[in-house]
Amino acid sequence: MNPVATAGGLFGPPQTISKEAGGLNTAIAYRYHEDTFKGDTEHVIRQNQIYSQVAYGASNRWEIYGRIGIADLKIFDAFTSTDVLTTTSKDHFEENWKFFGTLGAKGFYPLNNIFGVGAFMQGSYHFSNYTDEVAGVRNTTPFVADLKIKNLWDLNFGVGLQAAVPGGIKLYMGPYVYYAQANAYLSSAIPGIQSGNQKVSWKNKSNAGGFCGADIPLAKGFRLNIEGQYTDRFSIGSAITYTY
Amino acid sequence: MKTYLSLIISFIILSAGCVCAPCPASVLMQTPADVSSPQAVLMTDAGDTPAQSSKQPDDAGADEYRDDENLDDDDDPFGEERVTIADPIEPFNRAMYHFNDKMYFWMLKPVAQGYKEVVPEPARVSVKNFFSNLGFPARFVSCLLQADFSGAATEVGRFTINTVWGIGGLLDPSANKELDLQKQNTDLGQTLGVYGVGHGFYIVWPFFGPSSPRDSITMAGDYFLYPPWYVQPWYASTGVTAYEAVNSTSLRIGEYESLKGAAIDPYVSMRDAYIQYRMKDVKARKARSVLFKNSGANNPAADTFQPEK
Repeated sequence: MNPVATAGGLFGPPQTISKEAGGLNTAIAYRYHEDTFKGDTEHVIRQNQIYSQVAYGASNRWEIYGRIGIADLKIFDAFTSTDVLTTTSKDHFEENWKFFGTLGAKGFYPLNNIFGVGAFMQGSYHFSNYTDEVAGVRNTTPFVADLKIKNLWDLNFGVGLQAAVPGGIKLYMGPYVYYAQANAYLSSAIPGIQSGNQKVSWKNKSNAGGFCGADIPLAKGFRLNIEGQYTDRFSIGSAITYTY
Repeated sequence: MKTYLSLIISFIILSAGCVCAPCPASVLMQTPADVSSPQAVLMTDAGDTPAQSSKQPDDAGADEYRDDENLDDDDDPFGEERVTIADPIEPFNRAMYHFNDKMYFWMLKPVAQGYKEVVPEPARVSVKNFFSNLGFPARFVSCLLQADFSGAATEVGRFTINTVWGIGGLLDPSANKELDLQKQNTDLGQTLGVYGVGHGFYIVWPFFGPSSPRDSITMAGDYFLYPPWYVQPWYASTGVTAYEAVNSTSLRIGEYESLKGAAIDPYVSMRDAYIQYRMKDVKARKARSVLFKNSGANNPAADTFQPEK
């Protein structure tokens, strides 16, 4: 088996939204994520992520943050048989909400009153295994097999250019690179389901991508962050943040 | 053996959790009084006249609100309102007060002081916020029962914001100046008071402190509407409650000592402070109820006193 890789949420604007004197900001966010992963075969994966974030930043220059959230996982065609003698009850791997955590840090350097550049690094780890079961028939012999995706983690690094426009809105964009890895275990070697291997380490197909977004002030300390990311597939997410 | 152990642990934890529980009666930790006669204690607060209390009728239970006398003269702006509650079981109450006092000084306070030494105040405040956020169901239901829909909405807003953006309630962004959603200080005992149910008589529960038959309802309400009580197994929920009490006490060490030290008869002082505190709470809640607020000013709740004309 191969598939699956993730990224632990939005990157956010390069500049912290915490008060200059230093303070917390928190967020609730949703992200729709797609990517393609390559092992013996290629698979598109899809995730819905919901997470809560707490961050501490100061001086309008730096910020550290942590996230805890839940995510589902769908791996397209993970159970699709490539062998005519093997038939399966379903084609896709699907698992519901599992916990994941993210840690990250970012720094920002203002070029002038409008523009600035920043860099970030964030990594995520999925605490639980994603598991799905497939049933089928191989040469008239029925079988049942579990596929477990274990130790899912990723690391992202990127740089961003930010522009502060009237209304307190921050627009940002930039490139990033990332690496994701996980171990996939199939409980039984089934010819035709992927390579039939029982244990595979996988990684993401693309290692680089781009992101852009906007951070928009709302009212009473709340802000709306919308961001899109593109690697091999497109991901989009939104967060509502509150600055203390 | 296991049963005895359980009882002992329950006893210890309950004493830690309740002797100085952060309920409205939390300021009313009582100490033994060696003065048995009633005594007046002045309680003042902003915008109100000082209140005086006391009295112990022998037949107090016959008319629970006969004690809610006001000896104040309306023509005297500096007069004192006399607020009292029947205390027909004073010997028992004094014994329980003494017991709670010892539990506080011998067990809860030392533990809280040690806890305070090792846990910084911001962390303790966050823990307090967290447990306060868990008290949302009781406050929300109380607001609804009091027909205080504004308060209920405020509680829903507070709970949502503090849970989502307050890291599960550890922070309290709702109370910030920008949002200004303040916690509704209410409980089921106040709800009964709003609808005219009187206090009854004064009773000091072991571990739980000052109360009345009416306000004891709050204990039952807390049990069913306070999520930590549903934690399983039972000793986990009791431990959580005990920890909450230790944390809460660590944030106000010295308050009880000051109140006790300022009183000639701490028992009477606590009793009078209790009835005065609850009276003001009920009066404030009644003023917020859509059922009573139009007449609230002239139609005090059951445990408020009527000035004698």
